[in-house]
Amino acid sequence: MANNKVLQPKKRTLFLYMFPSVVLFLVFTAIPIIMAIYYSLFNWSGGKKKIFLGLGNYSRLLGDSIFGKALLNNFILAACCVVFQVGIAFIIASLICSKGLKLKSFHQFAIFMPVVLAPVVVGFLWKIIYNQDYGLLNFLLHSVGLESWIRPWIDDVDIVMKCITVPIVWQWIGLYVVIFVSAMKNIPEEIFESAALDGAGGIKKAFFITWPMTMDTVKISVILAVSGCMKIFEHIYIITSGGPGTASMVGAMYAYKTSFIKQRFGYGSTISVGIMAVSLTLVLICNVIFGKGKKKYE
Amino acid sequence: MNKTYGVTQISKKILMLLVNVLIALLSLFCLFPVVWMIYSSLKDEPSFLRNLIGLPTSFHFSNYLSAIKTGKMDVAFVNSVLVSVTAVAALVFIAFVAGVVFARYQFRGKTILYTMFLSGMLIPVHSLLIPIFVELKLFTLNNNRFILALVYAAFGLPKAIFLVTSFAATIPREIEEAVIIDGGNTHDIFFKVFLPISKPILSTVIILSFLDAWNEFPFSLVLMGKPELKTLPIALTYFTGQHSVQYTPMMAGLTIATLPVVIVYFLFHKKIMEGMVAGSVKG
Repeated sequence: MANNKVLQPKKRTLFLYMFPSVVLFLVFTAIPIIMAIYYSLFNWSGGKKKIFLGLGNYSRLLGDSIFGKALLNNFILAACCVVFQVGIAFIIASLICSKGLKLKSFHQFAIFMPVVLAPVVVGFLWKIIYNQDYGLLNFLLHSVGLESWIRPWIDDVDIVMKCITVPIVWQWIGLYVVIFVSAMKNIPEEIFESAALDGAGGIKKAFFITWPMTMDTVKISVILAVSGCMKIFEHIYIITSGGPGTASMVGAMYAYKTSFIKQRFGYGSTISVGIMAVSLTLVLICNVIFGKGKKKYE
Repeated sequence: MNKTYGVTQISKKILMLLVNVLIALLSLFCLFPVVWMIYSSLKDEPSFLRNLIGLPTSFHFSNYLSAIKTGKMDVAFVNSVLVSVTAVAALVFIAFVAGVVFARYQFRGKTILYTMFLSGMLIPVHSLLIPIFVELKLFTLNNNRFILALVYAAFGLPKAIFLVTSFAATIPREIEEAVIIDGGNTHDIFFKVFLPISKPILSTVIILSFLDAWNEFPFSLVLMGKPELKTLPIALTYFTGQHSVQYTPMMAGLTIATLPVVIVYFLFHKKIMEGMVAGSVKG
């Protein structure tokens, strides 16, 4: 590295190049986080009057049953996404990698397509699908003679969360399928060949070769799915806006309603900081459970 | 050649057929809602309500006119284009220079700075909704398309910097040395050497950040209070505001918002998949 000195530009040049990204990050990420923590200590409705409460908002948050309900729904979503999204995606990916499947690239194209759609559009589409009178789902049930299954899907307190899970899994399952397919393609072909010589069938290969060889990818996918589910907002906003009542309330939706509908910016910030803390803790827990987490630069 | 198949071979064939059918059904399930949306937008309301999945018998482009009227979709479309293009342009330039610096040069605090950017990926952006709203309102910078674009660029930074940095780290050092020997300066290295070489990764950044900006909802909802500044995802919420919902104009509105995304996906799906996998797996 004798040439390093020649190649190393002046400090001023480096500063100039780094300046825009650092400013952008500070103004729209770092400073807002500090501001959110600051506001979370006040009773404040956006005007001039700010009343300092210290940790008062936080003790209220701990006893807030709607916040508890919202977090519980986030956890349910996260669990469903890990089981159905990541789990099913793994199975689909192994099927896509199997030799007998025709039209492989078409299937990947089709399954991945919902990933690029706007969550708002997905929300509206599924809202129409679930509509009681003019919904696609009830229409299909009617036309195959399953009238007894017809129900007001998203207006039913008991099943609304299950209904919300479907579009979310539907939208992002393709991402995990493609992630797993690219991980499985990296497994050297010779391993499968020698396993086949030893008489291992497809299912055995999946269990004893594919699964352990893609374990790192599985871990990352789980973390991705969990942290993704803590951010869910648009689907809920469009399909139910948290209702009926608070049956499908999630953290981001509750924070939005508290701050921008009820104009309580102080407590709204407390909710946001609470979600952020829970979300980061979950990611941390996942990392600890999985041992060495993500690969880092250098 | 007249050999009969063994039992295992027949059962294998049946299994493969089953797998093919299963995956085909799944593909259909993923594609159908979008295809249904597009062709339903061309039906008239009564025939849509009579048969929800029937194909249109004649084309009713009037749905698009009423979508434009109800949702002000034309204005929203222009706003979405302006905001997305500005966001992408700003992001790709800023992420390019920062990513190359991270990949090629040493300076104090580099690791801390890089970790800081990467940790940006972990922050749920909704937590920033209130403070950014307050911050911008203080300087009356809300209701400003350019500022909204900068917000989007900021949220895209972590992933974009990561992608550029990992790509630029693979460029051989000899290239820089040759430029220096020829008397070029750092700007030459960046814009005459690294920029053309980095085209593949920059196009990935452009496509992915366009999709993100085009589809973004909560910040546009909160920051753009004026009706004439709303972007497409917000305009769509106008359709359900009224007492009765007209389905086919709504399908037309959804199609207007979705068609650009679908076209981009058709053209660049390989790149989109690669970029998203790289951005999420290694991120």
